[in-house]
Amino acid sequence: MNRVVVTGLGPVSSIGIGVSAFTDGLREGRSGISPIRSFDASGFPRRNAGEVPDFRPETLLRRIEPTRWGRSSQFAAAAARLALADSGLDPATVAPDRVGAVVGTTSGESVVVETVTAQQVEGGFAAMDPELLGQMAAGRLAHAVSTELELAGESLTLATACSASNYAIGYAYDTLVTGEADVMFAGGADSVCRWAHAGFFRLGALTADACSPFDRDRSGILTGEGGAMLLLETLDHARTRGARIYGEVLGYGVNCDANHPVAPDRASIAECMRTAHRNAAVKPEDVDYICAHGTGTPANDSVEAQAIFDVFGDRVPPVSSIKSMIGHTMGAASGFGAIAGALAITHGFLPPTINWTTPDPALAGLDPVPNTARETGVRVVQNNGFAFGGNNAIVLIGAVE
Amino acid sequence: MSGVVITGWSTVSPAGVGRAALTERLTADVVAAAASTEPPPPVDVTGLSDEPLPSTTGHALVDFDVRAHLGRKGTSFYDRATALAVVACGEALSDAGVLVDDSNRARLGVVLGTSLGSFRSTSDYTRDTLVQEKPYLVNPVLFPNTVMNCAAGQAAIRHGLRGVNATVATGPLAFLDALRYGTNAITRGYVDAMLVGAVEEFSPHRAWNTWLTGRQVPTGEAAAVFLLTRAEQPAWAGPRREAEVLALATAYGPGGGESADRALTGCVSRAVRRAGVDPAQVSHVLTGETGVDDTDEFAPACAALGHTPTRTRVGRLFGHCDAATGGLALATFLAAEPVGARTRLALLTSRSPDGGTAAAIIRGWSGAGPADR
Repeated sequence: MNRVVVTGLGPVSSIGIGVSAFTDGLREGRSGISPIRSFDASGFPRRNAGEVPDFRPETLLRRIEPTRWGRSSQFAAAAARLALADSGLDPATVAPDRVGAVVGTTSGESVVVETVTAQQVEGGFAAMDPELLGQMAAGRLAHAVSTELELAGESLTLATACSASNYAIGYAYDTLVTGEADVMFAGGADSVCRWAHAGFFRLGALTADACSPFDRDRSGILTGEGGAMLLLETLDHARTRGARIYGEVLGYGVNCDANHPVAPDRASIAECMRTAHRNAAVKPEDVDYICAHGTGTPANDSVEAQAIFDVFGDRVPPVSSIKSMIGHTMGAASGFGAIAGALAITHGFLPPTINWTTPDPALAGLDPVPNTARETGVRVVQNNGFAFGGNNAIVLIGAVE
Repeated sequence: MSGVVITGWSTVSPAGVGRAALTERLTADVVAAAASTEPPPPVDVTGLSDEPLPSTTGHALVDFDVRAHLGRKGTSFYDRATALAVVACGEALSDAGVLVDDSNRARLGVVLGTSLGSFRSTSDYTRDTLVQEKPYLVNPVLFPNTVMNCAAGQAAIRHGLRGVNATVATGPLAFLDALRYGTNAITRGYVDAMLVGAVEEFSPHRAWNTWLTGRQVPTGEAAAVFLLTRAEQPAWAGPRREAEVLALATAYGPGGGESADRALTGCVSRAVRRAGVDPAQVSHVLTGETGVDDTDEFAPACAALGHTPTRTRVGRLFGHCDAATGGLALATFLAAEPVGARTRLALLTSRSPDGGTAAAIIRGWSGAGPADR
């Protein structure tokens, strides 16, 4: 059984593109929220989101042509390209069939689906553009990464909604542990779209202009987008090539609420934490920081905090939500969480929960790292991801012992 | 060898609900082939759509009614893909003889394959935001249907499955990818058993997609689900062993074309090696190819095997079923009447337009079907 380490980070986010800008964004507690530009939001009561308006795929992608791929595929491929560059890995030194890509997503090529739908509204089904129909398959997110980096190993898209990046990291970890692969790109990607914006609004889960997780007056999410990819490789492979190592993937746990399509389940989330700890051989007292799912809805943050109290008892580590900065990036969310966790370990700081003003008496005992990043040593990070469908997934990342 | 076995399965397909319906359809096809007549033609699907369709016929289960199988409670907001999948999961549990209770539900999961979830659900939701005076007045209860994990999540709710729950969205590769995902979850010890399947629904959206992208066969729909467990299975995972998943392999040929030909040949070679079988013993190849002249999968597979086994294209009988194609292929192999040898070896292949490839080697034990129970 191989040990698995993180050696490359590729964030394409609203607070920074590339690991250096993203790290600065986390440290500064930057907000990536802006007025929606990707669609006409004028008819919506809420008009802000965590878009990535600075994303210029043509400046990042070398092989795939942006015009032939949807926005989410472009995010995934660009993020993987950045992760490769950050890792310093020379692709020529690895057999292509020993390198794969696993990409998590909630809505896949949502913008493409919306474009063909607009064509259908305008001119009927026959008016849908065949070229765009060919770009619609969610499997293209992983295929974009594989094509961009000329990878011949596994190319898998996992669609487990808002915990999908953790699923992807977990599955990639398994393929490395078992020796199926030497190097894997894992993470997630999603794009801001009308239908999700409308759906979250109608669920009463969308806030106006600032997402404030764990605050007493929190009132919902802001939709976000981006690509978050990590380069994972076996510890032996990393050491042999003298790689800089951010941290080790210690293990992960997934389970399913099997209860309600959208409402989170305290007992099930607590059980997922225990499963992840068991699989990673980590005890609750080993965890120095929890990178929360922390969507900013009253229900999620309350249920997540209670589950944390159930598992951690009176030794609750700091718990912060980077969604306060970048919004809810859906399938990319836990990928950004994993990147933030790896950076926390490497640089010794906790990303803050910004927009936090008022303690929630119901969450007494929870330290959300309010508003300002905190310098402190971090050895083990728990990265939470929960989702519609009751798809809970938690990844543990630690400093290499 | 993976050490993972199949203890039961079911399909909801144009042939009907349940494995008996599929077996009957396949038997009729064998009889028809012997008489040199054509397979059953696609059926009139105009009743499934208020919108114009590119063709009045397709391979759909037109009289499918989820309430007849699961009742009204909890099913009223299912979309068609979810309904097909949840029914197929229940039928597979029942076929395997698995009773889900508090002693096993945390060790039993489900993974389903899809192309993009329900194209109809997502597109209709977007449509509402475009045509309504107030774009945000969408139906919140239908929002989860726009998310690709809807079917797997609802299957877990309906059947009480708290173990690993996942959705793989790789279109034509999705069933074999789900098989690999489910097998991994079992061999890594995360669960003891998994329902592994794939689903696609018939809808005007998919029918037009098939038509406009130039596919040569009618649009089909199906859900196919299998109960997988480790060879040393817990007693609750079913008394029967119907088949063994010997090996799975995937590879990517960037850009498709010859690069993907090589990827698939490599995949098949790797799967055969891992399975520890003599390639000459692989008697059936089941592909996702659509046309008679299409050998995109069969030719690379034969190159790896070194001989030309019998080929089955499930698309001939069931139309263009995208993600569900691989599941129908496995079901077709397992449903076939055993001839001669006690065990049979099949190779399943899949390929996506961008260059994704996958292969599985399955050993079927003859006489292990329901009649043997």
